[in-house]
Amino acid sequence: MDRRKFLGLGLAAVALAPITVSALDFRKEKPDAWKAEKTEEAIKALYGEIKVEETGVKIKAPKLAENGGKIPVVIKSDIEAKSVALFQDANPRSAVAVWTVPEGGIVDYAVTMKMKGSGKITAIVEGKDGKFYSKVLPIEVSKGGCGG
Amino acid sequence: MKVKAKEKDGIVKVKVLAKHQNIGPEEGEKKKKEANFITSVIAKVGDAIVFEMNGSGFMSANPLYKFKFKGKKGDELEVTWTDLKGETETKKAKIK
Repeated sequence: MDRRKFLGLGLAAVALAPITVSALDFRKEKPDAWKAEKTEEAIKALYGEIKVEETGVKIKAPKLAENGGKIPVVIKSDIEAKSVALFQDANPRSAVAVWTVPEGGIVDYAVTMKMKGSGKITAIVEGKDGKFYSKVLPIEVSKGGCGG
Repeated sequence: MKVKAKEKDGIVKVKVLAKHQNIGPEEGEKKKKEANFITSVIAKVGDAIVFEMNGSGFMSANPLYKFKFKGKKGDELEVTWTDLKGETETKKAKIK
């Protein structure tokens, strides 16, 4: 390896270090979860074979979204959580986002997401007690996002 | 990127508005644009991580992220996003 390349690598490593060292990167750790087309497959790829309880999680989203390109979604839970994941079944792949909940963190997350058409969104909360909690909410989309 | 952080009763409410097209692979094909989206958003106060998220191409363009954490007025919040190409943007904001 020549010197220039070597130095470049060093710089790249330094620039990436604070993120890779401190954080759990779900995109790197669980690449299959982001490729799965079905929500069930994505959940399995992310958490393995799990039993979910449909309780303790709230989703706030419009019942009818006029613009599928920007749908506001809020996930709330009082459960002491390790992670939270958001899926939907209208787009080519299911996973939308995964949050790592810091120690003592509050589960009250809002994002704006895209949906190609009407479908169901699923939120999974991984509790510190080792159990999984979920909420499923159907959303009707009148004009699809994702350039559709 | 715009970051707003406001404390009330020990809880800091944060709004992050990122400027990013967030184009997923299929969308990129259709629009003849390169797929690129925000893959991670991390917020810190000092060395402590208070928010951490991995995203996909199904986030909206110019996404708005909101979250809450236990914190206090006057501290500095630092928010960083990273996209698929490895580009990053960091913004600092005082908690009000």
